[in-house]
Amino acid sequence: MQFFPFSRFTIHGNSMLPTLKPGQNVLIRCWFYQPKVGDIVVIKQNKRNIIKRIQKIQGYKYFVEGDNEKESTDSRTFGPIFKQEIVGKVVYVR
Amino acid sequence: MMKILESLIKLLPAKIVYAHCDIPCGIYDPHTAQLAAKTVLKMVQKINELPEEDKNNFVRIVMVKEEHAELCKKEILILWADYFKEEHLEKFPDLHNLIWQTTKLCSENKRTVDEVKANELIEAVNTIADIFEQTKK
Repeated sequence: MQFFPFSRFTIHGNSMLPTLKPGQNVLIRCWFYQPKVGDIVVIKQNKRNIIKRIQKIQGYKYFVEGDNEKESTDSRTFGPIFKQEIVGKVVYVR
Repeated sequence: MMKILESLIKLLPAKIVYAHCDIPCGIYDPHTAQLAAKTVLKMVQKINELPEEDKNNFVRIVMVKEEHAELCKKEILILWADYFKEEHLEKFPDLHNLIWQTTKLCSENKRTVDEVKANELIEAVNTIADIFEQTKK
């Protein structure tokens, strides 16, 4: 679990366009989070944080995709992710 | 509540999060593979036309054939691994097999000097390029 209930991230890349543009800041709630379809989440993969939207939940498997489906590497490529990889949910965008 | 979130986003240190894409899809293009396959055929034809004593050019042409067959294989494998997705497979169920056979044709064109095989490679790469175009629509 994160030390603080919120984290701030700056977007790099185009895969969440048009919802999130590169350079925008997002606030993530990390504590007590129950993932739901439609949520935009930060995922920790190979020591790297990525941001995607939950498209489908099948049991313990979470399928995530970028809003910009033409420019996104996501579950369509790397397969489903697991809950423990999710850092938190976007609650505020600036 | 909004005020608290606004203050938090201002105060907290920012980390990078990647709205990740390996390579923007616009960069994927079967053209390099098509050109490489055509080069293989051209080199096969040149080898067949070459006078027997011209050993230096023979070696150079074989080298170009070898390099372009390898390049063709690499480009096809990039499309396969990074561009094509499950939804494309649903529409083109033979895609895996087609890619497999095409990469095998690349190797065969390295081993042989055979116009038939070189033409088969061009045809196979063109079929993959057609599928690629259809997925872009």
